[in-house]
Amino acid sequence: MTNDILLQYTKFIAGYAAHLMGCGIHTSRVIRNTRRIGESLNFDLQISVFQKSMILTMQDKETQKTFSEVVEIPALPISFEHNSELSALSWEAVDKRLPFDVLNDKYTKIISAPRIDPLFVLLLVGFANASFCKLFGGDWMSMVIVFSATIAGFFVRMQMLKKHINHYIIFIVSSFTASLLASTSLIFDITSDIAIATSVLYLIPGVPLINGVIDIVEGHTLTGISRLTNAFLLIVCVAIGLSITLLLVHDRLL
Amino acid sequence: MNIALDILSDGFFAAIAAIGFGAISDPPMRAFKFIALLAAIGHACRFCLMSYAGMDIAASSFISALIIGFGSLWLGGKIYCPMTVIYIPALLPMIPGKFAYNTVFSQIMFLQNMKVPELKAKYMEMFFSNGMVTITVIFLLAIGATIPMFIFHSKAFSLTRHINK
Repeated sequence: MTNDILLQYTKFIAGYAAHLMGCGIHTSRVIRNTRRIGESLNFDLQISVFQKSMILTMQDKETQKTFSEVVEIPALPISFEHNSELSALSWEAVDKRLPFDVLNDKYTKIISAPRIDPLFVLLLVGFANASFCKLFGGDWMSMVIVFSATIAGFFVRMQMLKKHINHYIIFIVSSFTASLLASTSLIFDITSDIAIATSVLYLIPGVPLINGVIDIVEGHTLTGISRLTNAFLLIVCVAIGLSITLLLVHDRLL
Repeated sequence: MNIALDILSDGFFAAIAAIGFGAISDPPMRAFKFIALLAAIGHACRFCLMSYAGMDIAASSFISALIIGFGSLWLGGKIYCPMTVIYIPALLPMIPGKFAYNTVFSQIMFLQNMKVPELKAKYMEMFFSNGMVTITVIFLLAIGATIPMFIFHSKAFSLTRHINK
């Protein structure tokens, strides 16, 4: 293999690993999948993962040449679809010994596939939060209010995401929007504390919370703590947004 | 009869919640039915343990998470999805949002009532008890669902493999 080709392979593997890490997959799976891809291209791989970057050292098994690549982990939206498809790709690559071109094509196809329609997600999230309200003991009227508050809050979040506004600000504003709308339940004699409490729960970053605990338990303490810290900061932002609403209405809540 | 209805409706609403919150994280379409199924079983199981077996929220969450974890190991292989793709959305309805909200609420009320000793003590106590439940339950949920991955690691690591099965 010439150096050009090796460089191309190295870049591809580094990009694959960084993409997995960026779209919310726990660290041990990222390492296993990337090793498998390396294996299929006849590389031996060593990987160090940090919070915002990762270092890969690859050794060509034939020539014993080593290459290193430092790659930045991009901030991508969480995607379980990519998780399962890219994991499956790594097995396919090693089982069928896929040539590089085919592998690259399949990879590009997977990561450029469209996500679920945002409007459909919006509707599902609304129903989900309304069901949550029911689970916490809310009545039907509260559920309707939570449904509309969630839709409004999530819509604000989607619009702000499109404009690439700082994500802490996005979380504060959408949490404030949703909880303020949910506080209209105070007008009626219903379970309004439950309505306000559940209206912001769609913002809780459950995936990084659970991934962080998994990472820590599996010994990837550094990335685990970093995921939990990020999730914690987002929860603080949700709490700030909620607090503003509560400060406005708390006299009527007691 | 009423008990059965309560359990069923608990499972039903948990399933809708899991589908909706899962949809934010873009799971594969084929995973939705199992996410809904496991979320319903897990949440209904926690509901039963808490209301009829008198267990506390932490232990019953742990047991339900364990069930969801084993379920995702079994079902994940059928649709070639990693365990986490199924169990993370299924766990989301069990995250103790009401306790998390009460933590924030009591923090604000504590700061607002600094000059009234009884209220200050009341909200301080409320802050710690709610915060402790929130943190413990989230931690136990993640651990419980991950344990099957540790026990059957070779199977768990090859769920997305299409041959040799």
